[in-house]
Amino acid sequence: MAQITTRITATVGVAAVALTLTACSPSDTGGGGDDGQVTLETWISQDMETLLPGDAGSYDNISVLDVVYDGLVRYDPETTEPYNYVAESIEPDDENTVWTITIKPDLTFQNGEPVDAEAFARSWNHTADGDNGLYSNYFFSIIEGYDDMQPTTDDDGNITAEGAADELSGLEVVDELTLEVTLGAPFAGFATMLGYTGFFPIAEECLDDVAACATQPIGNGPFQVTDWQQSQELTAEKWADYPLDETPDYDAIRWTEYATGETSGWADFTAGDLDLSFPPTAEVEAARNDPELSGRYVERPGSALTYLGFSGYTDGPWDDIEFRKAISMAIDREGIIASLGSGQATPADSWVVPGGVPGGEAGTCEWCAFDPEAARAALDEAGGWPEGEKLRISLGDDEAEVEYFTAIGNSVEEVLGIPYELDIDPDYFTTRAEQGYDGMFRNNWFPDYPLNENYLSFYASGEPGAGHWGWYSEEFEAKLDEAAAASSLDESVALYQEAEGILAEEFPTIPFRWSFSATYYSERLDNVILNPFSGAPILREIEVSAG
Amino acid sequence: MGRYIARRVLQGVGTLLLVMLLLHLLTTVAIQLNGNPAQAFFGDKVASESQLAAVEQRFDLDDPCFDQVGNPCLGPFVERLGEYARGDFGTNLRGREVSDIVATAAPNTLRLFVVVLLTWLTLGMVLGSVAARRRGSASDHGIRLTSVLIDAFPVFVLLIVYRYVVAVPLHRWAEETFGEDSWPPYWFKPSFDADHPWATVVVPGILLGLAGSAAFIRLVRAGQLESYQGDHVRTARSKGLAERHVVVHHVVRNSSVPVVTAVGLTFAEALGGAVITEGLMNIYGMGGVLWEAVRNDDVGLVLGVVTLLAAVTVVVMIVVDIAYALLDPRIRYE
Repeated sequence: MAQITTRITATVGVAAVALTLTACSPSDTGGGGDDGQVTLETWISQDMETLLPGDAGSYDNISVLDVVYDGLVRYDPETTEPYNYVAESIEPDDENTVWTITIKPDLTFQNGEPVDAEAFARSWNHTADGDNGLYSNYFFSIIEGYDDMQPTTDDDGNITAEGAADELSGLEVVDELTLEVTLGAPFAGFATMLGYTGFFPIAEECLDDVAACATQPIGNGPFQVTDWQQSQELTAEKWADYPLDETPDYDAIRWTEYATGETSGWADFTAGDLDLSFPPTAEVEAARNDPELSGRYVERPGSALTYLGFSGYTDGPWDDIEFRKAISMAIDREGIIASLGSGQATPADSWVVPGGVPGGEAGTCEWCAFDPEAARAALDEAGGWPEGEKLRISLGDDEAEVEYFTAIGNSVEEVLGIPYELDIDPDYFTTRAEQGYDGMFRNNWFPDYPLNENYLSFYASGEPGAGHWGWYSEEFEAKLDEAAAASSLDESVALYQEAEGILAEEFPTIPFRWSFSATYYSERLDNVILNPFSGAPILREIEVSAG
Repeated sequence: MGRYIARRVLQGVGTLLLVMLLLHLLTTVAIQLNGNPAQAFFGDKVASESQLAAVEQRFDLDDPCFDQVGNPCLGPFVERLGEYARGDFGTNLRGREVSDIVATAAPNTLRLFVVVLLTWLTLGMVLGSVAARRRGSASDHGIRLTSVLIDAFPVFVLLIVYRYVVAVPLHRWAEETFGEDSWPPYWFKPSFDADHPWATVVVPGILLGLAGSAAFIRLVRAGQLESYQGDHVRTARSKGLAERHVVVHHVVRNSSVPVVTAVGLTFAEALGGAVITEGLMNIYGMGGVLWEAVRNDDVGLVLGVVTLLAAVTVVVMIVVDIAYALLDPRIRYE
């Protein structure tokens, strides 16, 4: 009998637990978004570490900050042209060196502090101060006084002295709503840069406790971060007192954080728990063939360029442009992209993304089409490939990229008969910075702001043999300077296009592929537009129907 | 007993220090060979000397020994030990407190393993006991065959199939049937949900427990078989005790020593996380944290997490040893 009693007690216990579990409804446990609120459910990657604008440099925190903060300018979703948003006006002087920024009146942060000239100066000085080691520090090198704020290092790269200045001498708060910026050199595209996260303002309260602000940002945008369980989920709710007009109709956004990025949320998407997602490779085909899903799909070419460079600082056949042309024409870009990664890329035949930024045009690279005949002819002209040698192709440690570059190597070997070896270098960035390669290597560029200049300026190495590819062109650098000093942005863009023309002629690097952005969205969503620049869905444009 | 525990604690502390030193050396060598994590911080951007130096300083990587291959970097290690002694576990590469990371990740992993353990005990004890009791019968063979089959089925296959084939339709069905505002949809959610940690961890835990239960079933079976043949069992039976009493008090209890060991080991292992399960079900747990930390050469995080893990392991082992003594009076440590 005793045993039976125990058993009965146990059963009753289990039942009681079950009842308590079911008695309270799950939404009582917080998380928000269930009390008649319309919540947009989306995703970010799990490794997002900070929401401090000056320290944000990844797809994820940039897309979150885009709704939490407002910048001086925002970009047109179709053309990526900048237009004034927090700024009333942004005017250069005749030389494009001194810029006067006027800010719209009566704007505040979510904590009530004013968004004024001081708020921008405070933010920029903090990020430009090299001693803080923030990600967006390098943006401010174009402003006068930047160098005095950087630490001094000895030959071993150890800091010997901190930066002398704490403020950019080129930054002057004229009055409450006027900021005067003096650049170190003329730059017609300065206003275009100002929509980037690194140039967002920050509140005084934020500077007082930077660590807290990195997880609980005090923004001036339409959404306010209410809860961030770091590495798990982030919730932002609409800020009721938002004074400007670019704000969507729904009430909250919840980003679920995924360990392996976007595709791991696909099961949740198909189960109806996520509004935006993209399938993992194995499911791409099935999703494409699903008539119900294909109507809820947007795609566009991305703006990140993967391209090939050569170690121009070492002696080798690649010093001859004919050899570089041969390699480029031997790569079957279309075929490789179609067979790998489910076609999630676009073949590249220019150095600036076509249609994605002002001045970007397709076809500027005349040797980027697959042409085995011409490739072999060019190789002969270059004097062939040395017998018994292997072409070394180096890249960082990334599985997907290794697949692409194996295919590139095979393509080259098949067409030109040049044997290759892949060199997977976990220390890629350092080796490249120290000019440690010998042969061909992978490069990738994700632009910071939508202007063709941003794809070109890093080729300015300043002297022969310097830079990542040991390439230097006096003519090219003179053209960049001329473009920076042009009297209007349009003129400037045209001159940068000429600079791209010089690059195309000298052919130091070989464009390979553009990134590709695409997303499926749920039945609740409408007006899903991808940012032509970052590829992220523009959250402020999305319409969510309740239910 | 007291002296024994003291000795074990001392041994544990020694082990701990050794493990930490080893890890420190490994991550240090990784940095020296792989180059600087600070460089990776900038990705494709070209960073100047001073920018790199500032970031190194921010990440506590500015000690020159990190640039000299073969240098054991004992300076930063001793410094770190001092910080640990003060209860400061430092931050990861991007300035997030290690203690905060562990406080978030460890409960999720432990939840998962509570479910795993319950699954094990249920399956192992029931099936193992039945198999042992009916040795050689059809059910015994059936159970043994099942355990081999379970072994042959990797957990990630189980989980992928579950997520895409089972969870998605079940979750939708549960939402339509019980409403979005009820528990069943959460049980079948294809991914972990931080707001409903228990509900969304049950099924993955059961599946992981199922996948790992084979060895446990066989362990229970073997342990009990041995007991069934023991003299004490024959004596108990000959005293006329009821079979149920014999089984529960003499067979199960006596064969529990290896089972407790296995549970203890599992618990310690659990803290290390189940990388695959956590990754697939998007559970933010210790497995993923450690995996990423090692990949990114995040010395501070690797050391902080492993130190905590090693400490817990040592404690668990001591607890297991004490449990032996309680289960089996013949085990004496004097």
